[in-house]
Amino acid sequence: ISDTSLQSKGFNLHRSITNLNLHHLNSIFVSVGFPQRDISKIQIALENTDSLIWIEHHKTKGSPVAFARATGDGVFNAIIWDVVVDPNFQGIGLGKAVMERLVTDLLNKGITNIALYSEPRVLGFYRPLGFVMDPDGIRGMVYSRKKKKK
Amino acid sequence: MLSLHLLSSTSSSSSLPTIVSLNCCCCEPSNHLPFPNTNLGFLKVKRQPKVSNLKAGFWESIRSGFGKNNTIQVIETPSSEEEEEEPLPEEFVLVEKTQPDGTIEQIIFSSGGDVDVYDLQALCDKVGWPRRPLSKLAAALKNSYIVATLHSRKFSSGEEGNAEKKLIGMARATSDHAFNATIWDVLVDPSHQGQGLGKVLIEKLIRTLLQRDIGNISLFADSKVVEFYRNLGFEPDPEGIKGMFWYPMY
Repeated sequence: ISDTSLQSKGFNLHRSITNLNLHHLNSIFVSVGFPQRDISKIQIALENTDSLIWIEHHKTKGSPVAFARATGDGVFNAIIWDVVVDPNFQGIGLGKAVMERLVTDLLNKGITNIALYSEPRVLGFYRPLGFVMDPDGIRGMVYSRKKKKK
Repeated sequence: MLSLHLLSSTSSSSSLPTIVSLNCCCCEPSNHLPFPNTNLGFLKVKRQPKVSNLKAGFWESIRSGFGKNNTIQVIETPSSEEEEEEPLPEEFVLVEKTQPDGTIEQIIFSSGGDVDVYDLQALCDKVGWPRRPLSKLAAALKNSYIVATLHSRKFSSGEEGNAEKKLIGMARATSDHAFNATIWDVLVDPSHQGQGLGKVLIEKLIRTLLQRDIGNISLFADSKVVEFYRNLGFEPDPEGIKGMFWYPMY
């Protein structure tokens, strides 16, 4: 979807958190199954985020209908987090729109190592966008306090 | 003795958290760096932390010291609850050993991020990583949430002021300062491998992150080091969640 096409459908695209309603962002997170998070922590996380994209519909000013952000070291690596589309607006290509633009923005900054963690049911969403699972046998790992071997 | 066979990735992707091979055989005394220690690093973080020794007790038990062949050491880490809840000092002595000739070597952990980029580049060269521009290295360090380092300090007994300090290990984490952190670029000088230093480096980095209330700590591991990280408490593909990379070059 091109920027013009988005606009003609009434969608506006943003790359900064100005005017972004964090409470509405949080409720979209919750609506797609993320845990309820502290707004002040969300604020901190977004202030320490390298790149982000969100889309709003002109009828719902400030309330995002799609969102994605990336953290990293600004030169070598970036990880994409919190990719969400409001369930009422899914299926029309907004997720793809934010992802394509986020990746382009990162590439334009010279960052070529772009990674993310994908739930099994959305692997098919990321694959056509150019993401490869476990390339060369590399595994994503997460620390778990309970799992630590003694 | 934990045997860790970890080979560095030869993939062109520059910053995967690989650890280069840790040998099981006796370590040779550390080599002098072939590069002059210019100390011109672009990155000079403000603080001058004092090296503080941790309290006696646990750490005494891992100070080797007087063995004739005091090369290999297994470093145990605190497993008691109270030890883990105590705030970690930014910089402290991990190990202290006395060589047969009387020189003392201390291994110092720091989470303060005081890294000379030239030293870091030299260390990356030593482990065989492809070269990255110094300015980018400096920027990557500056933009990292925590940069944890291991330095080796050598001095003759009574001459601590004249210590020779050398970067022998590093690991860094990027983060949004609230929810997630990802560990990158884990490396230990080959001359100091095989002693469990990589393990301690990661453990202390994790502890620092947890103490800053970062709930999600992740990393990407080469297949050969998955076991190493599993033993440190990392789980691959938790709940089927998969790591994905955008058009990786390999």
